[in-house]
Amino acid sequence: MQLEYCLLLAAALFCIGIYGLITSRNAVRVLMSIELMLNAVNLNLMGFSNFLDPTEIKGQVFTVFVITVAAAEAAVGLAIILAIYRNRNTIDMEQFNLLKW
Amino acid sequence: MNEIFSQTIWLVPLYALVGGVLAIPWSPGIIRQTGPRPSGYLNALMTLIALIHSILALLETWHQPVKYLSFQWLHAADLNISFDIVISSVTVGALVLITGLNLAAQIYAIGYMEMDWGWARFYSLLALFEAGMCTLVLCNSLFFSYVVLEILTLGTYLLIGLWFNQSLVVTGARDAFLTKRVGDLILLMGVVALLPLAGTWNYTELAQWAKTTTIDPTVATLLCLALIAGPLGKCAQFPLHLWLDEAMEGPMPATILRNTIVVSTGAWVLIKLQPVFALSPLASKVMIGIGAVTAIGASLIAIAQIDIKRSLSYSVSAYMGLVFIAVGTQQDETALRLLFTYAIAMSLLVMSIGGVVLNNITQDLTKYGGLWSRRPISGICYLVGAASLVAFPPLGCFWTLTEMADNLWNSHPWLVGVLVVVNGLTAFSITREFSLIFGGKPKQMTVRSPEGLWALVLPMTFGMGFALHVPILLHQWGLLPEWDNLNLTVATPLVISTLVGAGAAAFIYLNEKIAKPIELKPKAVQDFFAYDLYTAQIYRVTIVFVVGLVSQIIYWFDRYLVDGVINLVGLATIFSGESLKYNVSGQTQFYFLSIFLGVVLFVGVVCFPLLSQLSFVTFP
Repeated sequence: MQLEYCLLLAAALFCIGIYGLITSRNAVRVLMSIELMLNAVNLNLMGFSNFLDPTEIKGQVFTVFVITVAAAEAAVGLAIILAIYRNRNTIDMEQFNLLKW
Repeated sequence: MNEIFSQTIWLVPLYALVGGVLAIPWSPGIIRQTGPRPSGYLNALMTLIALIHSILALLETWHQPVKYLSFQWLHAADLNISFDIVISSVTVGALVLITGLNLAAQIYAIGYMEMDWGWARFYSLLALFEAGMCTLVLCNSLFFSYVVLEILTLGTYLLIGLWFNQSLVVTGARDAFLTKRVGDLILLMGVVALLPLAGTWNYTELAQWAKTTTIDPTVATLLCLALIAGPLGKCAQFPLHLWLDEAMEGPMPATILRNTIVVSTGAWVLIKLQPVFALSPLASKVMIGIGAVTAIGASLIAIAQIDIKRSLSYSVSAYMGLVFIAVGTQQDETALRLLFTYAIAMSLLVMSIGGVVLNNITQDLTKYGGLWSRRPISGICYLVGAASLVAFPPLGCFWTLTEMADNLWNSHPWLVGVLVVVNGLTAFSITREFSLIFGGKPKQMTVRSPEGLWALVLPMTFGMGFALHVPILLHQWGLLPEWDNLNLTVATPLVISTLVGAGAAAFIYLNEKIAKPIELKPKAVQDFFAYDLYTAQIYRVTIVFVVGLVSQIIYWFDRYLVDGVINLVGLATIFSGESLKYNVSGQTQFYFLSIFLGVVLFVGVVCFPLLSQLSFVTFP
């Protein structure tokens, strides 16, 4: 019963990520929460790859791609945060509600 | 025998119609140069042609068998509506009466409308009336009688509303149209219901059908009551009588026609339908009841009026009530004869009064007086008309009233009493008018009162001559009973009632010692009749109130409930849009939450069947 533990852990991590994503006021922490979610996904992929596909390990290939894409995404995300910070001098998410109704 | 005139009798209504159309160009807006008089001359000429044609046709049809003509009007599927014409001495005689009275009224109007610009409209409408009435007496079909009655209702509206800058004229025309319209519409129900029952609208065939039919008595009663309602409104019977009073706002020459023959159009249809009415005893009783109540009520009201035209108009209602009684007791021949003698007498009265009103300005009886020495012709004409109207031997209505009373004597003795009372009251009423206008001393309004122009006097004196000859004509036609056969038990009370009524009125109103605005002891009774039994108020608090209330409720319902439901949909959409836009909160994290919740929901819905089957493995 290794897979279930693995999946449950990943799900817990994902949910923690979601919680952080929705509640953080700091934009960098939002990005960090996204990283947590991506890592939860990676855990899933690794778990499936290990327990369901030990020969071809396609999950591990997926994981490698996810890590690279996550790195690029984090870089671009930080760039966006920097761009906003230059204009508005803050990275508080609650100050960014300009595009409402 | 050459029958060219009786075969082309259907031209008579067309003469009048042509005259009516030709009069229109002299409306002030079209021919601006010449003035309106040619329209009047033209119409008088056309009426004269129609009169001559009718007289020649009458000579041809005299003592000849009745002839029928029929034109196809509409043929659609099973329905076949034909325009039937009956050519008999009665119908052609009625044509002569109508065209003759029209000619008199039109010549009269040449004098009366001297100072008026509206000749084109006036004469066109008179011609429309002439054409309508000629068509009505000629046509032998209930359907086309109804068509003509409706056209005449519209004509009444326009003719009463001739001087429409006066507010009372406008309300009078409105009431005349609506009141007559209500009766006509109920008549339409009867007309429509008659076709499936009888299969025909032809009067002759209806009479045959009525002899043999065995329809349900309830159906017959309802049918007859509906058929009565039309003439009820047309003849100004209770309770649809107020329009005739208000119709007195119209010009006088039109009043001649209205009081004599227009109200008789309803009676004509009633007489023609008499065989159908015989199907239902209840309908006959209703007819007699309405006739009796109207006759007595209207003659009492006539006594209490101070407006001369209105006083005469209630006598019209009373005499039409007598016609209702005659038809209700199956005396259609007598009813026709009564219409004839009555029309002659009433036209004479109205023409005489019209001349008096024209150059004394007022219509108020209490402001008249002492015209006998200055207006002898009008006075004599009035006297002859009055004597012809009531049972005064040997003039016209004496014979018809006696004949009617004679027929009633064995079957309905109490109706003879009604007849005697109405005759006495009418004698009182018209003698009162005569005494107030022609008797006594001149008052301020009547100090200088010349006799009218030739155009007023000529038709009046012609009418007087005709009225004086009516007994001779009736004798010639063999319509008078021999002196020996005269039923003295009914003739005596009638004559006595005339003498008592006229004598009492003359004693009261020609007597200087009695204070002149006569006041009855209970003033309320006098007011009750003077204000026409408060009919206007009764209409206002009953039917007008109910219809007004219902229409306001329906308006409210439409305005607030029906419109409101639709507007509510629009409002709800606006409100939802206005409130749902706050979902676009501007918070990125809120959007994340929405996406997350959406995905969870979607997955939950999609996977629900799967999840419900899932059984969790218990750990060892």
